[in-house]
Amino acid sequence: MAQQTLDAFQVVGDASRREILQMLSKDSLTINSIADNFDMSRPAVSKHIKILYNAGFISIQDVGRERYCTLKEDGFNKLQEWINYFDKFWASKLQKLETILNNKTKN
Amino acid sequence: MTKSINHTFFFTHPPRVVWEYLTNAELMAQWLMPNDFLPLVGYDFQFKVNPVPALEFDGIVYCKVLEVKPFTKLSYSWKCGPGNMQITVDSLVEWTLQEKENGTELRLNHSGFKEGIHVPLYTAMHDGWAKNIAKINNLLNTATHGTANA
Repeated sequence: MAQQTLDAFQVVGDASRREILQMLSKDSLTINSIADNFDMSRPAVSKHIKILYNAGFISIQDVGRERYCTLKEDGFNKLQEWINYFDKFWASKLQKLETILNNKTKN
Repeated sequence: MTKSINHTFFFTHPPRVVWEYLTNAELMAQWLMPNDFLPLVGYDFQFKVNPVPALEFDGIVYCKVLEVKPFTKLSYSWKCGPGNMQITVDSLVEWTLQEKENGTELRLNHSGFKEGIHVPLYTAMHDGWAKNIAKINNLLNTATHGTANA
């Protein structure tokens, strides 16, 4: 079967996939436990998971015999990097201001 | 997850001295960055810093003065990105000065971080899927009907 790569809209256009994402927004889950929540066959669930994975919505990690799915938050992580960067930036700048003001004679 | 940055500093100088360092472009450059700031509401200015390739940051911060309350409050927008006027971070910087017995308490709040690309979907995931699923369904329905009617 051809590798399924759908755009984000097509990915969330499917109710089962939305449900999987919703489940993963609460916690990481194994493919088996995700499948337990659906009436469809395990291969069918695996297919949806593969689509979510290919579209970058989730990451999959092997832990022992289980495969864990986790919501992928690239967009948010990037934003957090910016916030961390500016946090340090301001802390160091303000310390510099403090030094300048401390060295300044009071007036 | 941190969504805003907060720093509080105390200076043994009156607010008007601290204010000078927040609003005089030359004094600002001494501790912050080269800039062309003017304390006028609506004024566009820029800060220039060293680029940060890892963040795809070209080193220019595009700002607009939003609030100027002498010796008390100053705020400006703070936008930056990879270059070519492309903005990936859209945020807000607010300074609050409070006079104390022997100096000034300066508070910085850098907040409102929004990212331009891919955010709607990721925000959707975090801010409650139910709400957004309804939205997506609406969009999908509208799109379908739109095509049918076109």
